[in-house]
Amino acid sequence: MGVQEDPLFGFFFKKQRQIEALIDSYLENLRMTQQRFSEALELCLDHTANGTFTFLTEQTHKFESRADDIREEITTLMYSKALLPESREDIMTLLEEVDAIPRIFERVLYMIKMQKLSIPDSIVPDINKLVSISLACFDLMLEQVESLSKRSGNIRALVATIDRNESECDHIERRIITKIFDSDLEPFLKIQLKELISCVGEISDQADRVSKRVNIISMKRRV
Amino acid sequence: MVALLAGIFLGWSLGANDASNVFGSAVASRMLKFWTAAILASLFVLIGALLQGHAGIETLKDLTRLDLEQAAICSVSAALTVTMMTVLALPVSTSQAVVGGILGMGLLNRQLDLEGLGKVVLCWFGTPIGGVVIAVLLYKALGGIYNYLRMNLFQSDGVLRIALIIAGAYAAYALGANNVANVTAVFVGAGQLSAFAALLVGGLSIGLGILTYSRRVMETVGRRLVRLDPFSALVVVLAEAITVHIYAFIGVPVSTSQAVVGAVLGVGIVKGIETVKKRTLLNILVGWFFTPLVATLIAMGLYVVIHLRYMPY
Repeated sequence: MGVQEDPLFGFFFKKQRQIEALIDSYLENLRMTQQRFSEALELCLDHTANGTFTFLTEQTHKFESRADDIREEITTLMYSKALLPESREDIMTLLEEVDAIPRIFERVLYMIKMQKLSIPDSIVPDINKLVSISLACFDLMLEQVESLSKRSGNIRALVATIDRNESECDHIERRIITKIFDSDLEPFLKIQLKELISCVGEISDQADRVSKRVNIISMKRRV
Repeated sequence: MVALLAGIFLGWSLGANDASNVFGSAVASRMLKFWTAAILASLFVLIGALLQGHAGIETLKDLTRLDLEQAAICSVSAALTVTMMTVLALPVSTSQAVVGGILGMGLLNRQLDLEGLGKVVLCWFGTPIGGVVIAVLLYKALGGIYNYLRMNLFQSDGVLRIALIIAGAYAAYALGANNVANVTAVFVGAGQLSAFAALLVGGLSIGLGILTYSRRVMETVGRRLVRLDPFSALVVVLAEAITVHIYAFIGVPVSTSQAVVGAVLGVGIVKGIETVKKRTLLNILVGWFFTPLVATLIAMGLYVVIHLRYMPY
């Protein structure tokens, strides 16, 4: 029986359990955000962006806002004497860094929507690859954050995988940008696309930063 | 009764100052409300005093023979020394101040139990050293178990919080068992109190100090411990409690602050980092040397002043 299930300690761990439940709900919410983002981007890359794209963009925004609310709730609960100060600080910093990713999702979709961007076919396969690896990084990062409270996965192994994926994303990002500037596209569109690609590239960069933070938090709990 | 007030005042100031070594980290980190910590500390101090405080009383009361007036002078000189050293921001041990007072009276009476005094001084040396050694051993032993359990963040947090509260309660028990003699032993020696009454009055006065005036010290001093990681803070509180408890068995009141500094140093040795600044160590050394000396001089001075008589030609 784990410490948290022990009825003797139930009283002491009540708030702690609430925080754990909220973090689970926060991560679940991030998965929903990611799913909406992925579906919206797929439509855009297939050049079938229509009302559904707008709906999915709004859904992404909705889930991102919901994630902010849950994070706020976690912060409030933590400061009502729920955890040790060091753990509070670690969780706060971690969630702040994780939270940057759904904001990137939102930014990418609004960029496409507001600037009415149309992705040239020549770079679609590369963008698909970049998005796919970036979202894989994000998935692994979520798994890593979960393993902080479940102790299930191997945090160090995940750090290495995310790091590898992030390097690959950097290569793809540079390749796409080179392709864009080698093409005959209008200069203004080139700048817009470059900004979009850099923004998508930030997903894996941020996932890598979070992954390293999780590793530090985990190592700090080894004596 | 008036003479006993000096002892009660000393117990009160001891409780107000030393509670920070017991529950400081828990209160400063806001994991425990001040009142919960204060009530727990007072309760365990009283239990410790009643169950294991007698050995210290036996040691101190036998250091020299005192009458009631001299017992009161001892308490007042100890209280004055503690206040002066605190004003000068030097770390001070109530135990050393009380023994200094007794020593002053013993010198005037020309009657001292040198063997007992030697044992006490030896224990003064042993307190910080004991803190270091026990902290090193505890860190290694508990660290091994902690790593073996491979707890997740929340489990580790919960276990450390509960452990800090249990360690705090144990440290309060050890504080009561060890330090109660400082407060009322001289009155047992003077025949003013029975051993049980001395333990009860001493325990209650320390508890009163914790309940009424320890909040600020607990929060400020506790923050220093909180700067350590939670596991190290737990090791420090436990090492301090064990060190002080050992001296309760031996029957020599010692300083919880010195035990804490020793334990913090011990943690630093294991982790290979500087946990205590050289300046702090120097201050402790100065306080360690001057506290008994100043208390001895004040006690002798007070006695002389009280016995000054106007002699008309």
